[in-house]
Amino acid sequence: MSWITIVWSMVTSACLTLALMHLVIWFRQRDQYAHLLLSVTAVSVAAIAVCELLTMYAQSPEQYSRIVWWEHIPVFSTAVSVVGFVRLYFNAGRWWLGYTACALRLFDLIMNFFATPNLNYKQIIGLRHLRIFDGETISLAKGIENPWIKVSELSSLFLLIFVVDATITLWQRGNRRARHRAVVIGGSMTFFLSVAAGSSALIEAGLLRSPYLISLPFLAIVLAMGYELSSDVVRAARLARQLQASEAATRESEERFRILADTAPVMIWMAGTDMLCSFFNKQWFEFTGRTMGQELGNGWSAGVHPDDLKRCLETYTSSFTVRQSFTMEYRLRRADGEYRWLLDTGVPRYVLGREFAGYIGSAIDITERRQHELESARQRNELAHLSRVALLGELSVSLAHELNQPLTAILSNAQAAQLLLAQGAADPDELPQILLEIVQESKRAGEIIRRLRVLLKKGEIHRVPLDMNQVVDNVLELIRSDLINQHVAVQVELALDPPWVDGDEVQLQQVLLNLVINACDAMAEVELTNRRLLIRTELAGSNFVRVSVTDQGCGIPPEKIDRIFDPFFTTKEIGTGLGLSVCRSIISAHGGELYAINNPGGGATLQFTLPAISQSTK
Amino acid sequence: MSSSAATVFVVDDELSVRQSLSHLLRAAGLNVAVFDSAQAFLESYDPSAPGCLVLDLAMPGLNGLELQEALAVKGSLLPIIFLTGRGDLPSGVKAMKRGAVDFLAKPVDAADLIEAVRSGIEKERVARRADAELKEIRRRLATLTPREYEVLRHVVSGKLNKQIAADLGTVEKTVKVHRARVMEKVKAASLAELVRMAQRAGI
Repeated sequence: MSWITIVWSMVTSACLTLALMHLVIWFRQRDQYAHLLLSVTAVSVAAIAVCELLTMYAQSPEQYSRIVWWEHIPVFSTAVSVVGFVRLYFNAGRWWLGYTACALRLFDLIMNFFATPNLNYKQIIGLRHLRIFDGETISLAKGIENPWIKVSELSSLFLLIFVVDATITLWQRGNRRARHRAVVIGGSMTFFLSVAAGSSALIEAGLLRSPYLISLPFLAIVLAMGYELSSDVVRAARLARQLQASEAATRESEERFRILADTAPVMIWMAGTDMLCSFFNKQWFEFTGRTMGQELGNGWSAGVHPDDLKRCLETYTSSFTVRQSFTMEYRLRRADGEYRWLLDTGVPRYVLGREFAGYIGSAIDITERRQHELESARQRNELAHLSRVALLGELSVSLAHELNQPLTAILSNAQAAQLLLAQGAADPDELPQILLEIVQESKRAGEIIRRLRVLLKKGEIHRVPLDMNQVVDNVLELIRSDLINQHVAVQVELALDPPWVDGDEVQLQQVLLNLVINACDAMAEVELTNRRLLIRTELAGSNFVRVSVTDQGCGIPPEKIDRIFDPFFTTKEIGTGLGLSVCRSIISAHGGELYAINNPGGGATLQFTLPAISQSTK
Repeated sequence: MSSSAATVFVVDDELSVRQSLSHLLRAAGLNVAVFDSAQAFLESYDPSAPGCLVLDLAMPGLNGLELQEALAVKGSLLPIIFLTGRGDLPSGVKAMKRGAVDFLAKPVDAADLIEAVRSGIEKERVARRADAELKEIRRRLATLTPREYEVLRHVVSGKLNKQIAADLGTVEKTVKVHRARVMEKVKAASLAELVRMAQRAGI
């Protein structure tokens, strides 16, 4: 067998092998058309190689021209598939260039169909036998060139321009992969297309005595295409492996999360970017007694107490839009139908710390804690009330006197009026004056009763904006006669238009009353003329109002100053020891502080602060 | 009516109480003067003006008991009726011991108050009269010579003229003359009256 036969057969089989491989790949991945186009190219090149081999061993001009006639078909399919491959694989190249090359090639094919003997030759006169280097003889045609073959050459030229253009475009994209691709495929295509087209043109022009040698440069092109595609396949395989590994890692971390979520002693939920819930843990379902299907999306909100739902959804959606974490308390129906208080905390979550992915949150049942809080608040109120009643007990003599004054005035005025009427000689101005005084004093008595009733009332805490100056005035009204009896002179220094505080009037009166009574008690041993009491309201910083009660008494022994607020600690012979401890709990509940200091010049000052509310909310 | 010349002084720190008491006492036909503190009353106090004091026990500054004490120091005869807002027994006892006319709890009934005021005024009137009588007796006694005064002491101790003459180392006739002069000087119509006058004067 001659080496020509061997070489061309190898070209053919190499092409067919490649074609088969990539066809198989294409069958597996139908969207990868590059593989199909490569297969078509390779098969076409194999066919060209077969034709070339046959022409070289042609025995007659008829046989030769017949083979050349047939050869136009694989040449056409090669051109079309190369255009398709470049366009698809490079995603570059001007379509019109490619179309023109293909159209000219189709035109060539059709012309060839009607030409005799073929489009290459008008006539083949005979065969020339050329002896090449190792004594092998090959046939060459001896004939007249068909001028229409220029169509074929023009087509090849357009193909070349198309490829060069696409290669340049690809190169200009600049990334490493694109440039590599441009060099390997674009470069080799440009070079070998030039070789194939150039040699064919020279042969057709009769300037080169050689058989057509298209298959060899095209084999190089096919190999370059195959090399690039197979590195793609390798890359894809590597990616697939990595993906698999990362999928496994993801699965493991998801599994870990699920185990964690299902064993954590809290209820966990997750929501996507659309605010719809996408996950609940086991504890959630155990609590609600519902299924994933019922809870997903907005289904969970069906279990929220109707009174809490609106507030709950507002918090949820408003936090969601600004992507802030939130904490809310609401009642959720438990499986047994009972509504339980939940403390729910939600935080936004981000993929790889960047892209917002929704929220994750946890909820715990705080019903018992709330009940304890309510219970202790109730007990605190109860205690405050009891302590208030005890306080008023201490004040009862003074209060009776306070009430006696208007009653005295009323009784005397009324009896004066009776006398005047009985005498029938009343001054016409005097009776109305007497009646007016009766009315005024009745109102005053009523006001004292009202104040007392307020203090004795065992009501709910009722916070309203309060002027502490007013509270001081009210307390002094209540305790005025007590102060007189104890010879205590009161000096009041009130801040000018102080900010208001948010407070329960009764409880704050109670605190102040307590402090004033304690101050008076502290001065029981002091000489009558030195029993001075100073009550002051002032601004402490910009956010607090401070009320201080300063006495000139014996002061507080330093070792006891920390203990006077302890429950059941008392320095008095008669006393529950609860007064100051209740006062401190009242002030704490108002967000303030109550403390005692000894004055440098003797006596003690008890003062408390309360957070001011902004002027606008007065 | 003697009480019409008398004035009721009302001292109370509370305006409404002062006014109502003033209305009431005026309606009862009494003269009334009001004061808002013990000091204010003391400043304008005229011991010669007859009347009665209606005094609040608990007041800032000088309180009721303190005013009572201050008046006692001045030798005032002014009867005091205390008013108190509370049943303060110790203060009441103290006040009554010091000669208060009455101790009334607020709110006070008109009848009680008016009666107390009237009796206070009456007492004061009596006291003033007794006081004037005593002064007159003392004035008359002061006109006696030492010898006449000596005779008077013996007469009121119930001795006979003869005994007196023996005691004084004189004759019965002389004693008789002294005795007649004493009767004339002190304007005693009878021996019984003379004895009563001497007793009033503390002899």
